[in-house]
Amino acid sequence: MSFYFAIVGTKDNPIYEAEFGTSKQGGDGVARFREEQRSMNQFIVHSSLDIVEEVQWATPTMYMKCVDKFNNLQVSCFLTAGNIKFLLLHDQKADDAIRQFFTDVYDLYTKTLMNPFYEVDMRITSGVFDGKVKQAAKKYL
Amino acid sequence: MSSAFPSLRTRPTLPAVGVSRATSVYLRSSSIAPVHSSVTSLNSLFNQASLSSPRSPEDEDCKGLVCRAFVPYVAVHVSDDTNELAREKGFVDFKDMLRPYGESIQGRITIRDSQGISTMHDDYGVRFVSLTDVAGSGEKWESGASRAMNGSSEKAAGSGSRVFQGGSVEEVEDLVNLHMERAEELNETSLPSDGDTTAFNQSFYMLYLRRILSALPLSPHETFSHPVACVIAISSRNANPIDSLRNLYNSGNHLPLPDYLSTDYLRYYVLVHDEDRDDIKKSTLLFDQMKKHFGLHCHLLRLRSGGASVISDDDAVVVPKSQWISAAEELHEIRSRDYDDEQPTTCLPDSDATGIQTMVREMTQVSVIPFMERCIATWNDQVASRRRGISGRFLSMSKRYFSASSSRNSTSSSSNYDALNQSYPPSSPEAQMRKLADYAFMVRDWRLAHSIYELLRTDFNNDKAWKYHAGAQEMAAISLILTGTGLTSKVRADTIAPMLDLSCYSYLSRCSATYHALRCLLVAVELLRIRGGGAADEAATWAIRARDMNAQGTIGHALITERVGACYTIREGIGSGAWGARKRKAAMWKMLAAGEWLEVAKLAQSRRCLDTALPMYESSRFLHVHGFMEHLKQQAGYTPLLVDLQDGRGRRGREKGEEDDSDEEEGVEIQSETLHTGLKRKSLIVGREVDREVENEAGSGLDRFVDS
Repeated sequence: MSFYFAIVGTKDNPIYEAEFGTSKQGGDGVARFREEQRSMNQFIVHSSLDIVEEVQWATPTMYMKCVDKFNNLQVSCFLTAGNIKFLLLHDQKADDAIRQFFTDVYDLYTKTLMNPFYEVDMRITSGVFDGKVKQAAKKYL
Repeated sequence: MSSAFPSLRTRPTLPAVGVSRATSVYLRSSSIAPVHSSVTSLNSLFNQASLSSPRSPEDEDCKGLVCRAFVPYVAVHVSDDTNELAREKGFVDFKDMLRPYGESIQGRITIRDSQGISTMHDDYGVRFVSLTDVAGSGEKWESGASRAMNGSSEKAAGSGSRVFQGGSVEEVEDLVNLHMERAEELNETSLPSDGDTTAFNQSFYMLYLRRILSALPLSPHETFSHPVACVIAISSRNANPIDSLRNLYNSGNHLPLPDYLSTDYLRYYVLVHDEDRDDIKKSTLLFDQMKKHFGLHCHLLRLRSGGASVISDDDAVVVPKSQWISAAEELHEIRSRDYDDEQPTTCLPDSDATGIQTMVREMTQVSVIPFMERCIATWNDQVASRRRGISGRFLSMSKRYFSASSSRNSTSSSSNYDALNQSYPPSSPEAQMRKLADYAFMVRDWRLAHSIYELLRTDFNNDKAWKYHAGAQEMAAISLILTGTGLTSKVRADTIAPMLDLSCYSYLSRCSATYHALRCLLVAVELLRIRGGGAADEAATWAIRARDMNAQGTIGHALITERVGACYTIREGIGSGAWGARKRKAAMWKMLAAGEWLEVAKLAQSRRCLDTALPMYESSRFLHVHGFMEHLKQQAGYTPLLVDLQDGRGRRGREKGEEDDSDEEEGVEIQSETLHTGLKRKSLIVGREVDREVENEAGSGLDRFVDS
């Protein structure tokens, strides 16, 4: 089970991307995407924004669970208050684990936002952020 | 192509042929669609079908296409001298002469539905088939996909011509491929469309769909291709006409028709009078005699004799091309045209063409339609209401429970289903009801058709008549969509989706009838798509299902992929942000389709898909997406020159995306804005080549950048 995680800014621009595999059931936490799947992942995540934009008005919570499907791949979404979308591409249903993961990443993102040198929609290049997201992924997914 | 879209064509009004009913004012709403209205009702925020979405005339026509695919089939059984007459005029036989005129009947056809309300249709038609072809083409149950396997399609009929039948996905694909290759040579992205520019966008897909729906194969489980009527014709050249009419009647009855075919169709007698060679007085006398014998269903067709007329003749009119021939036949036609270039277009004298038109029209309006209306009324009274009533319910229930104890596979007396032949005999109530439903469908009484299909699907399920079951499910879903009212998202999810699902499952897993499954899905996709809104989403889902079915080859796969994109395109967003639109999804599917076109080396198609997809991705910051896009652009030889100039939206997006492009490219872009004719565009091909090279370098540079 592999995951592709993207934080998408307000202008459909990715501000952070990561790939990781599952750490449950003896997984080593390394994503196993074939090369052509990489572009497909981004296409799927990008196209699911259509659904997010629709669902966001009808869902009271920030976590919208699984919003879109493509073949056997699912996209879960978490929408922050500042219209930043956390999108996770996964192939098995795991609502609760993903919710906890998103909550942790929201924490991290909020802290990044507090950085006076960071502006909304800027790409997040911080190694610390990356490490912590990976940690959260390892913990929950 | 132009005659395929009657809504775009002004029809000459009919010289009144004794139909006074058609005189009332009739507003054709379908052709006067709002081109771009921004009114979107608030209560249809996301999930309901918004009726005001902008539609091209072609989208509007999908429903018409489906309607015109399911029209009565009329068999033709004529004497040799009549065929001879047609042959002298340059046709293969008499049926060949009638056929183009049957496809779109001039003027409006009035149909009274089961409620007694008259509706008028001006895109009605009938299909002429040869009765001997029908006899020779009974589908063997097992070969659901194509009958070409069991060799009977090779059966020589009369003048050594083949019996052509639809129902083969491969042949349809071959045909589209052939057309596409020709178009590719000319760097065109659509069919040569006779100067009809509106038929630009989806025309290859429309061709695919039309050929799938053309010449429906003869099968026991549906009666659309079973003849409703039979034209029995003799000509005035005949020495003893009454005898030959009797012979024709008898031989028609003794043809080895398949068992499941009911033979109590309407007989329509035509006397073809040869104007130049024979005496009209004699013919009139004979015709009066015929009228006395056969009653109302007679017609005197006056044709000029003599050889084939050519286009240079004074009063010659070109015979329209048949739009609904099967893919096999069109393939055959194209190939034979390739062998000898000299195949002049067939022409008829003006008076002949009018005469045939009048005959077809009168036959349909005065004989065929009333006959069908009567059949519907009778069966509805005698068969369906008995089944619907309390006793019928009890009967079917008891059948279900009592036959459960006995062995269910044997043809027990309680069931009319013949498990051996896997068909119902035509006199059984089930077969009659199916026929009733199909007739109702053909006269476009969707509501009645739907209610009968509903009854039938439970019956067929109990009998384990799987192909019948699949067919009833399919048509129940389609007729429900066509009913058009109360099609809420709940109905779609709870009623239509399971029906389509079951139908596909039965067709595919139980009968391996891939053609029927594909047809079912594609029709549903088109009908849902034109409803817009949430239904368009579902259309896309079903299109994806059809795509995953793998019933089709690479061409069909790519076509359907593109269609998924088209399904998403039609969905409109709400408000300034166009929330709820599916622009990104549409772009993704177009992109995928572009990739698939590349794989089958259809560059022009690929470029066209890129044209619509690129505005979305041009400024994308997703690296892999960008890389993929550049790769496709390079492979397809895409340059912004091949702009579909009519697509204003695409152009705007492209300009935005190209702000940071090099100066020379912008110069070309400006030039392309002024190009409005293909001629001028072609003169720039040289410039385009240079431009492409520049782009290729840029693309490979970007690839390197992505790889690093």
